[in-house]
Order: sequence, then structure tokens, then C-alpha cells
Amino acid sequence: MKNILLIMIFAFTYSLFAQSVDFSGYVRNYSGMLLGNGSNDFVILQNTFNLNIEKSFDNSAFQVNPMIYHDYSDSLTFRLREAYMDLYFDNFDLRVGKQQIVWGKADGVFITDIVSPKDLFQFLLPEFDEIRIGVEGAKFDYYIGNNTFEIVWLPVFAPTEYADPNSVWAVTPTFPTTPTFDYSKVRVQTSLENSEVFLKYSALTEYVDFEIMGGYMWDDDPTMFSSFAPDGTGGMNIVITPEHKRISLAGGSFSTTLGPLVLRGESAYYFGKYFNTSNPAVNQGVIEKDYIHYMIGTDFNLFDINFSMQFIQKVIMNYEEVIKPTPLFNDEFSNMITFLARYSIFNETLDLELFSYYDFEFDDALIRPRMLYDFSDSINLQFGANLFTGTEGMFGQYDKNDMIYGKIIYSF
Amino acid sequence: MKNTKIISIAFTILLFASTSIFSQEATGLQIVENVYNRAAGDDMTSDLTMTLINSSGKERVRTIKQFSRDFGDIEKKIMFFVKPADVKNTSFMTWGYDEEGKDDDQWIYLPALKKTKRISSDSKSDYFMGSDFTYDDLGDRHPTQDTHIILREELLNGESCYVVESTPKDEDYMYSKTITWIIKDKWIGLKKDFYDEDEDLLKTLTVEKYEEIKGFLIINHTEMKNVQKDHKTTMELKNIKIDTGISKSKFSERMMTRGI
Repeated sequence: MKNILLIMIFAFTYSLFAQSVDFSGYVRNYSGMLLGNGSNDFVILQNTFNLNIEKSFDNSAFQVNPMIYHDYSDSLTFRLREAYMDLYFDNFDLRVGKQQIVWGKADGVFITDIVSPKDLFQFLLPEFDEIRIGVEGAKFDYYIGNNTFEIVWLPVFAPTEYADPNSVWAVTPTFPTTPTFDYSKVRVQTSLENSEVFLKYSALTEYVDFEIMGGYMWDDDPTMFSSFAPDGTGGMNIVITPEHKRISLAGGSFSTTLGPLVLRGESAYYFGKYFNTSNPAVNQGVIEKDYIHYMIGTDFNLFDINFSMQFIQKVIMNYEEVIKPTPLFNDEFSNMITFLARYSIFNETLDLELFSYYDFEFDDALIRPRMLYDFSDSINLQFGANLFTGTEGMFGQYDKNDMIYGKIIYSF
Repeated sequence: MKNTKIISIAFTILLFASTSIFSQEATGLQIVENVYNRAAGDDMTSDLTMTLINSSGKERVRTIKQFSRDFGDIEKKIMFFVKPADVKNTSFMTWGYDEEGKDDDQWIYLPALKKTKRISSDSKSDYFMGSDFTYDDLGDRHPTQDTHIILREELLNGESCYVVESTPKDEDYMYSKTITWIIKDKWIGLKKDFYDEDEDLLKTLTVEKYEEIKGFLIINHTEMKNVQKDHKTTMELKNIKIDTGISKSKFSERMMTRGI
């Protein structure tokens, strides 16, 4: 049986080769060691196989992108990042299947880039193409010159995926007492009325590139409704019922050059986001508010070093003090900056990079120095560190997760 | 627009080429303008292989499929990176303008990020893909940006050449001067020396091969050697196709993301 299977796989692979199907991808060894809390635990010992299988015809194409992760506990995790087909017409394209969709001009933050949800199994540390989850749906693009009208229809809702509760990247929920969770409403039924729809108009011109977008979607993060139930001993238990709620947004982004500077901006207005309140006994512990999320940033080169800086702010409209602070929304105004510096030497065989997030509200940061070396055209070596500062907030909560890591990547 | 210019200049050259008057009266600027305006067809498709060779002889190879088209006052170019594997499907698009002082528009599509990013064309002194060519070396530097003087006339590789020294008007330009050997009547820069800010020789560009395709002289093999770093890059163009009528829509974000 095993032999038959092998022969079938070989025959299938051979027939794909015979049709000039293109194979590319990488094999990666990734080792990470914790430095915080006096421990030197190897928190990551992982091997990854990423395979892109693609084929283009004159008026169509397909791509399948499976990824296999193997970790030190000898477990295998299979992810199908993308599997889609393209149909090309004179003035429009249609892409159907599981696909990653990326919008906006911001780097490392998600403002209008909300079509593909995030997989936070290792927080924000993986490469961004690994953080994004492919979504099942159809994307239609209509072109007039360098203007593009895009419609995305997603019949299947995919939420944010969080780290396993036993992982060092797990987010600890903060409730006054240990709650009971009721997951009966967390799933969004796959049906036509539960679809998500996104629209975008974008243009690429001599002077400025811009996007205008809107979306009617599900909040990727569930709202935590609270209620109370007898605990059987005469007391009351708090019951948390996670439920995804509808949310809509409108926004846009731009990018232009001003002499040596690239200027970028991105903004979105979110309608009807549910925030948790400090008192879980009132209104099921939630309150509905609109909020604005925006970024302004610039890229430039100085002394042969490429710099990129962004300021990001979230503003909760009609803010009320009852809103419970979280690492993502601490106050009426949440302010953050990102900083990137990259220097290439030895004919771009060695890159030195420093990327950092800093959150003003919690005075916490993630600092990521990294060295990348092209050992050959196919092999890239990386050595870096992820340093968390602060004691609370989005980054400070992982203060004990400082780590150093090394990667060997063979691309083919 | 550029073709009209090219035709009129070519006609002028034809009128005067058979006499010695041109060579007596030609200025450095005229000679460099002839190189700048040398006809190369309205559009071109080619496969570019770039080989980077370090001082110990270790080679790195980059392969690119490129398309360019002259739209009159705008020249558009799109490049699709084929090798090495880690940059496969990356694409790079440039819109260059005849208008003096107007910077190029440039975009790069990064397939891993699935994002098209506008980049500044101000970084012309950056080296292209780790090669010995800067972005400026690869582009068409407008002749009026430099002051040109004819140093002498001499034979190089059996070709009769003008030797022209070009000094940038912008003192902050990355080269203090260049010296170019330009083949008379063909208007091809056969060799070019680049001098650094200290006026020391930095790099030498040599044309290894050129050929006539559809009546146009096309340079298809060059070598840039950085004499200070003992590092060199060869560029070879293959499968060159001229005037095939590349569609206007080829130079768009749609094509950048779709790939070759």
C-alpha cells in the first residue's frame, strides 16, 4: 500500500514536471532560546518546508502553497497557506480559492490590511507572510489603466488564531475571578448571509499611489460577553461567552515621494467595535464604540542606511471611562511608533537590521536586531534577538520572553 | 518625442558624417547627446543575466526578464527577477521622464509581502542587487547634468573613439568625473572610467559586445569592475527582441503582481 502511494506521488510529481509546473520555496531550520527569567530554554527548535507549486498559462494560472512545520516534540503541523486559481481577461482578473490578501501602505501594523486574519501562534515574530492566514473566497479585479477596482467576497469566516494556552506566547485574559468559558457562540456559521465583503479602489500614478477601501466583515477578535451563573455553592460564577460581532470600516492609504523621502499614510474608521468594560455586570460587560486607526510614516536613505519610521494612533470615539484597558486599547488615545534601519554591506551579502515597536502608553517595546548573511545564492543565515521591554502592554506582557535565535534558510 | 529627436539627430549626423567638419566642430555635449539619443527602437524585451564575481572568484548569478518601452516623454521599464530563488517573482518598475529635473518613479513588488511599494529614486547611488552598477549607472543620465570636454581622439579595440571627460554640475554627485571612450559615428560608449570623490579611479565599465538588431546597435555584454574592491559584475542580454509592440498595460501594477 505504501509503495503504491509512493508510486502515485512520484507519478503525480513527474506529470507535473512534465507540464513545466514551477516548484520553488525553502527549507528552514529555526532555533530560538529564551534569555529571560534566568532560563535558557529552547523555545523554538523547528524545521519548516515551504513549497510553492505554480503554473501560468496565457489566460490562467494556479498556485498551491503548502507548509509543513516540524518541531522538537516531533509533531508535524501542516498549513495550506494558499491554493487558488486565476482567470485572466482583457480588463479583469478573477482569483478563486484560498488566498492571502494584503492591502494598505503600513508596514508591520494592520489598519486597512484586515482581509486576511492573523495567526499569532508566535505573536508578531514570524515573517509577515506566515502571520497572515489565507482566506477562502473570490477576488475580482477590474482595471482601467493603472486604476483598479477590487471586490473580495469571503463566504468562510476565519478569525484571528492565538497561541496555545501552554505557549510562552499565550495571552492571559484578565478577569476579576477565574471565569467559565461558554464557546457555544464563537463559531460563525458558513452561509451566504454570514459572508464578508470588501471593496477597494486603488491607483498608481506619477505623483501618488492611493487606495480607498471599505469592508463589511466579522471582527476577527471575539467580543467577550459576560454573564453570571450559580456556582453550586451559593455563589456566582462569571461566564464569558466569546462571540464574533459584525464590524464595518472605511479607509484609505497613500504613498508618494517628496525629494529623497517616501511619505506614507493609512487610516481607517471602524464602525461598531465592542469594547469590554471594567464592570462585567453591566450590559454584559461590553460597550459599542467607533474608533479611528491611522498611521503616518516615511522611508529615506541616510549614510547608505535605509530608514523607515511610522507613527500609529488609535482613537476611541466618544470615549467613556468604563472601557476596560487592554494592551491594544489602553485609553482614548493609543500611540505607537515603529522604527526600521537596514544597512547592506559586501555587495548586499550581509545585512544588518534593527526593527522596533514602541508603545507610549505602556512604555513597552519590542526590539529586533538581526543579521542576515547570504552564504550562497541559495543559503541565507540569520542571527537575531527579540527583546521585550516594559512589564505590561502588548510587548511588555512578554517581558520574560527575550530570546536569541538563528535561522538557516535554503531557497530553491 | 524622443524618436523624433532621434530621427532629426540621425539625419543631421548623416549630413555631416562624411565630412571632417563635424569632428572639428563637435563639442563634448553634442557627442554625449548623440550617445543619449542613439536610437534603440520603441520597445525591447530581453533576458538579463548578471554575474557578480568577488576578489576570490566566487560567483553569484542574478537572472532578470525585462521589458521596456519608450512612450515619447516617458520611458517605462519593468523587470521580473527570476534568480536567485529568494527573490523570485520580485518585480521592479521604473517610469523615467524626459522632463529635465523630474525624478523617476519607481516601485518594487515583494511577493512574500504581496505588496507593491513606491521607492524613492533619490537613492541612485545605491547598488543594484548587490552588483557593481548603481541605479544611476543603469539609467540614462541626462547630458545636461554634466559638463563635457573632449580630451582627445584615439583608437580603442580597433574603433576610432572620442575620449570625453564629464564633470557633474552637482558637486554632491557620487562620481567626481567620468571619462568615456565613444565610438565615432556609432555613438556607443565603449569604455567608461568612474572616479570617486577623491578623484581616484573607482570603476571601469567596458562594453564586451554589441550587435545590430533590426537596424539598431544594441549593447548586449558589459563588464563593470570596481578596481578598489576588486569586485566585478558582468551583464549579458539574451533573447533580445526589438519593436514587438509591447502593450501599454505591461507597465502596470497588475503585471508587477502577476509576474512574467
